[in-house]
Amino acid sequence: MSALWFVIAGYGVILGGLAAYAITLVRRLAHAREVSLRIRGEAEPAASSADLGE
Amino acid sequence: MKTRILGFAALLAVLAATVNGLFVVPADLNQGDAQRIMYPHVASAWLAYLSFGVTAMAGIGYLVRRDLRLDAIALAGAEVGVIFTAFAIWGGMMWGRPVWGVFWQWEDPRLTTTALLLALYAGYLLFRRLTDDPHRRAARAAVVGLIAAIDIPIVHFSVIWWRGLHQGPTIGDPGKILNPSAPPLFVLALMSMLAAFTLVWGYLMIRRYQLARTEWQIEEHGRLGRISVARRSFSTESVSEEAAP
Repeated sequence: MSALWFVIAGYGVILGGLAAYAITLVRRLAHAREVSLRIRGEAEPAASSADLGE
Repeated sequence: MKTRILGFAALLAVLAATVNGLFVVPADLNQGDAQRIMYPHVASAWLAYLSFGVTAMAGIGYLVRRDLRLDAIALAGAEVGVIFTAFAIWGGMMWGRPVWGVFWQWEDPRLTTTALLLALYAGYLLFRRLTDDPHRRAARAAVVGLIAAIDIPIVHFSVIWWRGLHQGPTIGDPGKILNPSAPPLFVLALMSMLAAFTLVWGYLMIRRYQLARTEWQIEEHGRLGRISVARRSFSTESVSEEAAP
């Protein structure tokens, strides 16, 4: 196997891995923000109904 | 928006540094094309040091100030550092096979201490999952992060302290900063890859920090919700006990 294949494997895994990690992070963050917003949306009406003594 | 611009700049910089390293800079006279792997390999190794250094400093900061934002920075450093350490090891293996004739050698101090570094910070990330209490988790993780950081200088100086397969520092040695043993074109290619990877590192650190903060908010809300449900059920039980004849 020539050195070129090792160069391709080296760059491919490192750059591909960085891209995959960055995409995963962005998707996890988007999901977490969505969950956080949903929780806050649910918490606010509950808090206001608690204030009214319901 | 600023983080997105940073991400875009990092992408462009990595593309430019890769094209430079693969197609513009000539192959090394002795090592041939295999030497081109050095650019992402060395950049990854340096950023692994930086990440774990950030984890250690943020850990000290947390122990002093008890601010959970510092714990989020420590977590970001550890996770991003594990990624870069894994890539440094992979790049080293891809370079080692054509140049040394082996992917790995356990007798080499640099290789072994780097593998230990990866294991220590992977352990740090697992250790964080042992407790749900954010302050207890942050304090324990800070101590573990500081203990693990002892391996960083050992990895760096292992090529000077002990003899092994791994070569000594080419430009990392203070005496060689102004007069590196590698040709200027190679040093420039390495520096451009390092700059590009540092931009990527900055982007990943910010995104991981933001994720840690958002997950912490969700955790906190879940905890408050459980407390409120427990209180409500406790008060309902008390009322029904009082109402009972």
